[in-house]
Amino acid sequence: MTLSYYLALSGLLFTIGLFGVLTRRNVIGILMSIELMLNAANINFVAFNRFLYPGQYAGQLNAIFIITLAAAEVVVGLALVMAIYKNIKSVYVEDYNILKG
Amino acid sequence: MLEYVYILPLLSFAVAGLILAFGRWLPLKGASAGILVAAWGFSQGLMLFVKAIQGTITLPYEMSIPWFSFGGNQATLGVYVDGLTIAMLIVVTAVSLLVQIYSTGYMHGDPRFKRFYCYLSLFTASMLGVTLTNNMMVFFMCWELVGVCSYLLIGFWFEKQSAAYAGKKAFITTKLGDLGFLVGLMVLFYATGTFEISKIQELAHAGMIPAAAAGAAGILMFLGAAGKSAQFPLFIWLPDAMEGPSPVSALIHAATMVAAGVYMVARLYAVYALSPIAMDTVAWTGAITAFMAASLALTCFDLKRVLAFSTVSQLGYMMMALGVGGFTAGMFHLTTHAYFKALLFLAAGSVIHAVHTNDMREMGGLRHKMPITYITFLLGTLALCGIPPFAGYFSKDEVLAAALARNPVLFAIGAMAAAMTAFYMARALVMTFHGKPKDAHKHDHAHESPAVMTGPLILLGAVSVVSGFVLTRHEMFEHLVNFEGALPFELHHVNHSAVALFSSIVAALSMSLGVWLYKARPDIPAACRETFSPIVNMLEKRYWLDAFFLKLVDIGDSLSRFMFSFDFNFLDQIAIDGWAWLTLKLSKIQGWLDDHVVDAALNATGTITMSAGRMARLAQTGLVQNYLLFVAIAVSIFAAIAFAG
Repeated sequence: MTLSYYLALSGLLFTIGLFGVLTRRNVIGILMSIELMLNAANINFVAFNRFLYPGQYAGQLNAIFIITLAAAEVVVGLALVMAIYKNIKSVYVEDYNILKG
Repeated sequence: MLEYVYILPLLSFAVAGLILAFGRWLPLKGASAGILVAAWGFSQGLMLFVKAIQGTITLPYEMSIPWFSFGGNQATLGVYVDGLTIAMLIVVTAVSLLVQIYSTGYMHGDPRFKRFYCYLSLFTASMLGVTLTNNMMVFFMCWELVGVCSYLLIGFWFEKQSAAYAGKKAFITTKLGDLGFLVGLMVLFYATGTFEISKIQELAHAGMIPAAAAGAAGILMFLGAAGKSAQFPLFIWLPDAMEGPSPVSALIHAATMVAAGVYMVARLYAVYALSPIAMDTVAWTGAITAFMAASLALTCFDLKRVLAFSTVSQLGYMMMALGVGGFTAGMFHLTTHAYFKALLFLAAGSVIHAVHTNDMREMGGLRHKMPITYITFLLGTLALCGIPPFAGYFSKDEVLAAALARNPVLFAIGAMAAAMTAFYMARALVMTFHGKPKDAHKHDHAHESPAVMTGPLILLGAVSVVSGFVLTRHEMFEHLVNFEGALPFELHHVNHSAVALFSSIVAALSMSLGVWLYKARPDIPAACRETFSPIVNMLEKRYWLDAFFLKLVDIGDSLSRFMFSFDFNFLDQIAIDGWAWLTLKLSKIQGWLDDHVVDAALNATGTITMSAGRMARLAQTGLVQNYLLFVAIAVSIFAAIAFAG
């Protein structure tokens, strides 16, 4: 098992996440895709830490930090979605177009 | 009392205003105020005269207050009194007084009676200003005021077309001369640096004025005098001025205003004496005028015009006297002439008042109807003709003697004029008062004038008889009025008695001839008119001087018409309108440029900005996913670049 496999997995996850963010119509789906991209980053951190600096913990620490952050983000994100839904009565992002120029 | 002499003109001015404003409520509609002031002025003049003769006042007296300053010069306002002033002062106030008294009768019932007296007072004030001022600037102002009064009074009966025209003619003709006066005054100021008469005299006596400047100033100012004193060729206005009321003719156009020109030359005699050319100009103009005017009077049938031509002729005499160096003679003639000519005019006015015509052919035989007028007219005639011992004899004799002393030719012209004077006055006298009445109706209605009119006549008649005799006693007049400077030429010695004898014989002969011809043989003058019709025609056309001036006006007229057409057709049409057309075209081009280039550039900027904005709007979809896509693409590109670098 080499670093490349991890990086490939992480890249795949990130790409799937990005694809989901850009293409999902449902705002909940977008939030879930963001989770995927964050976890891709976590895998990167942990993998680099494991293979390049085995005796140290900076990568792991960062991963834990990001997990915490992701939890907080979901909280805020879902709250925002609730608030928007109350106003616009829709969960589809194409209806969120009040910023149109 | 010299200290208060300045009040005279001021008071007269005030009275003119008073009569204009409150005349309606004053006794005699304001005439009383004018008469009172004139009487007071006359008494002042007389007292000054007596004191000057006695030598109890020192002359010349000058008093002035500063008026205004210009450049480094100070103009003053004040009075200058010497013998000349006093002589003129008496003439002005005396004639003014008598004329104003006379006019209460003559102008009785005239609808503009009040205005007449206002004008008379204004005239008297202006004339006193001319007489008394110490400053040529004020002199000129009063001189012009006098001209204005003359204009107003000639045209007093302006309902009559001819009177209105005569006023205009007088004003314009004298203005022509005044232009010369003004220029002369400037030359004089340039040469002396002052307007004050006493300083000009001082400089002239000291020889500080260059002869050329003095000559130029003298001749130019003489133009003004020629206009006002009716000298050749500007005398054409005076006969027409007879359209005015007779008292006006007596006051203004016989005694005072027309003498202003002579007075001016006398006032600046020191300047004239510096230049022989100026003196000769004055002398010859005077002589020509005297002769011409006397000849014109020969064929005239209008009583007042005969007297007017006679006035012109006598003014020519005065000018000639001044020009030949006879300063005292000229001023003496001015003084005596003022009285007897005023008398003649007032007497003529009395006749006209009675018969309501000026034409001598409609008069005749009036001596029984109007004895006082006849006697006084006779006295005036004798004085004018120079029959001893009347006033004119003394003064005219001195003028002729002065002329002979300078130049025998001038003397000959003067003597011929004197002969003609005696002849035409005899003719006028006979035609008016003697013979059979030619118009029975007018003769029947004629009557002697009231006492207010005959009174002044009698007074003036008395003065005409005695003034020459009295004023020559102990050389009284010569002590008062004489010229102390040097003359620019030598004078011959003249036997005064011979000249006097000669002139009185000539006058007496000529007068008898006139009386005989018109009384006993009126057919001879009529035959002469036939025989010498070209000459008579020339005289009746007044030597074509009127035609000459009219031609001059015509030339000026056509010149201005030409100028007008040049202005209208060329300057206006081509230059001005052309310029406007060009400007219009240019502005059209500019307008097009503005619309299509400048504005287009501005609009293009706006349009480009707007379409850029419109395009940029397309990116702002409002869909967050689109924005994110852009971010992703951008990051990818940057990442690619980073890796490639």
